[in-house]
Amino acid sequence: MTLRVLDPTNEMKGVGGQPAARPSSLQGKTVGFISNGKEGTKAYFGHLERMLRDELGVAHIICRTKSNYSAPAEAAIVDEIKRWQAVVTGVGD
Amino acid sequence: MTSKAYDVDDFAAAQEFYHSNGWTDGLPVVPPTETAVEACLEWALMPPDQLIGIEPVREQPITAEKLAINAVMAGCLPMHFPVVATAWQAMMKEEFLLHGVTSSTGGCAVLVIINGPIRLEIGANPTFNALANSDRATAAIGRALRLALINLLDVRPGGIDRTTLGHPGKFSYCLAEDEEDTDWQPLSVVRGIPEGISAVTVMAAMAPRQIMNEWTTDPREILETFAAEMRANQRHYSIYGGNYAIVIPKQLREHIQAAGWTKRNIAEFLYERARVRRAEWAEVGKGSIVRDRGDRIHAALESPDHLLVVAAGGPAGGFGAVIPPWMGSKTKAVTAAIGACVDCEPPKG
Repeated sequence: MTLRVLDPTNEMKGVGGQPAARPSSLQGKTVGFISNGKEGTKAYFGHLERMLRDELGVAHIICRTKSNYSAPAEAAIVDEIKRWQAVVTGVGD
Repeated sequence: MTSKAYDVDDFAAAQEFYHSNGWTDGLPVVPPTETAVEACLEWALMPPDQLIGIEPVREQPITAEKLAINAVMAGCLPMHFPVVATAWQAMMKEEFLLHGVTSSTGGCAVLVIINGPIRLEIGANPTFNALANSDRATAAIGRALRLALINLLDVRPGGIDRTTLGHPGKFSYCLAEDEEDTDWQPLSVVRGIPEGISAVTVMAAMAPRQIMNEWTTDPREILETFAAEMRANQRHYSIYGGNYAIVIPKQLREHIQAAGWTKRNIAEFLYERARVRRAEWAEVGKGSIVRDRGDRIHAALESPDHLLVVAAGGPAGGFGAVIPPWMGSKTKAVTAAIGACVDCEPPKG
């Protein structure tokens, strides 16, 4: 006997955000790092900073750390993002 | 209802359809037909488009219709649905930090504790096997929360769910309090819900750690065993204070009650006793993060109010359980009344 069953997923998507346009180059640009504050982020971001400066010509690196590694970044940090051309976040265990 | 509908040949085809779409927890599901979903909504007096809440971080709206679909899949009867809906409302409170709770590598589950008359109406069994497959109601309600996380917020392993290990409570982690067989106040009343009103408490919880002490009737000695387990969790898992739950079955409960101890007395005792020096981390291989703070004292509970004492479990056995928090006080347990607005103004006149 045929059964008619319903979709259990969230078909009504939230407002969310749209990804920003990708920069074609990082030469001379400002890149922000948002750390979750965990121990492993220190070496990771230190290494990444050297790579971005030496290999891709990034001019400025801005480092910020969230106060709660399981929550979104504070509004003040999010507000700064518009002054950066790229941001690296979501890593660090 | 506005959900997409699909025709499948039979029950077995429905299983393959739901599994292949990634819509299950790996176990078979009850096919959510429109009739079954409508029955849930009618029982709870909710229109399909009623907003249960909006997940605060990713801003995902959760409607009654979608939640009911997942509840049916989990095996819920219509009378279980108000518990599921209220638990979800509680989970979406800011202080619960649902996104962190469900995405963390730490791998906690959502523990649900049911209080009030609804426990009896739905046939929840707070005695034998209370933390496991004790009855149909708690099994299905706990499972419904997980299925809805999977399907409504994409909390799938490797997706939003970044859990390293997890624990079996992520299938279902729900119990009712044994209010009929204790002198103590129900957890919901301790947490501010008026007596006689049904309620759920949700807590981001790790796996239960079972203790045993059947060799004393002294409440202090019994609770020292619970305190030692909390300290062990602080040493081996996370040192930081947060909501802990302890489950005290009848055998140990009767000794504690006979000595005149209330839940408040228990919480104050464990607040004082469940503490470790940071230097103890060096004894369990974590010396590198003690640094110069070895003398710092870490309490498992930030205050006695942070302990959730639950009377539940079978009648025999000198056992108990300590249920630790996911990660310190980053998340807070939330208690919500079912089908009643305890914050509302009373009607005028």
